Amino acid sequence: MTIPAIEISGVNKTFGSGRKKNQALCDLSLSIAQGEVFGFLGPNGAGKSTTIKLLLNFLRPDSGFLRVMGHTVGQEEFRNHIGYLSEFPFFYDHLTARETLLLSGRLSGMTKQALRERIPLLLERMNLTEATDRRVSGFSKGMKQRLGMANALIHNPQVLIFDEPMSGLDPLGRHLIKNIIIELREQGRTVFFSSHILSDIEDLCDRIGIIHQGCLLYAGGLRDFLTAGSSLEERFVSIIKERDHAADPL
Amino acid sequence: MQQTLSNLWHLALSTFIEGIRHKALWAIVCLAIVLTMANIFVAELFTWDLGKVSVEFGLSSVALTGLLLVFFLGMKILADDLERNRIYLLLSRPVAGWHYITGKFLGLALILALSTIILGLAAVLSMQYVLWQYPSFVPPNFSWLTYAMALACQWLALLVMLAVSFLCFSFASQPFVALLLAVSTYLVGQNMELLRRVVLENTHAGILTGQIKMVMALSWVFPNLSLFDKKLVAAYGFAFSGQEFLLLGLYCLSYSALLLFLSTLLFNRRELA
Repeated sequence: MTIPAIEISGVNKTFGSGRKKNQALCDLSLSIAQGEVFGFLGPNGAGKSTTIKLLLNFLRPDSGFLRVMGHTVGQEEFRNHIGYLSEFPFFYDHLTARETLLLSGRLSGMTKQALRERIPLLLERMNLTEATDRRVSGFSKGMKQRLGMANALIHNPQVLIFDEPMSGLDPLGRHLIKNIIIELREQGRTVFFSSHILSDIEDLCDRIGIIHQGCLLYAGGLRDFLTAGSSLEERFVSIIKERDHAADPL
Repeated sequence: MQQTLSNLWHLALSTFIEGIRHKALWAIVCLAIVLTMANIFVAELFTWDLGKVSVEFGLSSVALTGLLLVFFLGMKILADDLERNRIYLLLSRPVAGWHYITGKFLGLALILALSTIILGLAAVLSMQYVLWQYPSFVPPNFSWLTYAMALACQWLALLVMLAVSFLCFSFASQPFVALLLAVSTYLVGQNMELLRRVVLENTHAGILTGQIKMVMALSWVFPNLSLFDKKLVAAYGFAFSGQEFLLLGLYCLSYSALLLFLSTLLFNRRELA
């Protein structure tokens, strides 16, 4: 039996203390198999980004554990298996696209020779060839998002974690990123991504997880989630409303 | 080991490139060059000790600029990493907290070295002009080597302040608080030696009388920045031994390493929300 690409077990996370205490995640458990494209859905403030930050060890859980490719987050080095794209990718403004990718690649342990071959290929794939030697400060939001995607892929990781990867992209950019996720699935990579755009989730994901107010409401196959004749949007809205109603019947 | 060195080098190099392409750096350096050149006119306002005034003015310009770079450029780069989430770019890779802290420190130290060299050379030009115009005011034992050593001491003091600002940055919740703490530490550090001597040598030191232990303890906690101030030594051409220079270097190295170690401990406990 192969180990799961991502394993989250009994994770609780609270921010603040006293009156300002806010339970961001409540006993979250998830398992994502290798080679799976998993969509993580939820309204704003549901806990999607918190989960992703916990997976990257930017935040630490109050209890529970997280594993990536069998390595326990925070205890063993796991980050060379991960490619990460944040919702708002920020870069060093005065570095060029090439220098940015070179820095990321070298920090991931790649050789100069390997990077010399990989950087032009990735920039071409992201339609950024002409911007190779331009400073990132002059990039548009969409260009930064595409550079962020190249940055996540530079070291050819096993697991890709994308936080709202389509955010700020025009239709062409979205099409490009969707194709890349499809290619990654064909290559057997694991993709874990959060998104608000339900049509993208429907197009790309094998399995989904729905989180609301820090609690996981559903985790399983996309087809199993959709009841006959209903769209993902309708099912998503109804499960969130059911939860809200259960929590506050008045 | 090889990956650790590679990480440190690439973090330092990227910080250096980011810093030297920053407009703020060149605005501060241009201002300082103008200030250094103003040396020529300022020295002429004095009717005695022109050589001393010129050397002190030149070195003071370099020190002031270095501080501006530490407080504004250095701390801005660190604050932007956190506030604009640029740090995710680095820490989503196999980069340890101490790699990040040390790499950034080395990159900023290189920027400070470059600016000290540029400003030191600009000061040399203006001083050379003043000393050439008024040869009778050249101190008898004046030496360019001592001047270069005094300049290197300025850089060492800046490295200590850079390490202090890293420590403040690693535990302060807001960049402004970190800046305030670093500036306060600088002011205390500048006067620590004076305070220590007042308490040790003066039996009428007001409320500080009898507080020798406390002041001595503080003098070990705060950096003794006045030790690095060799403006008078350079201006009068006093003896400045290689041994003293070496000891200052060791003090800077050990104090900065300790602060960076503490910064790493605090930084590792920090959550990057």
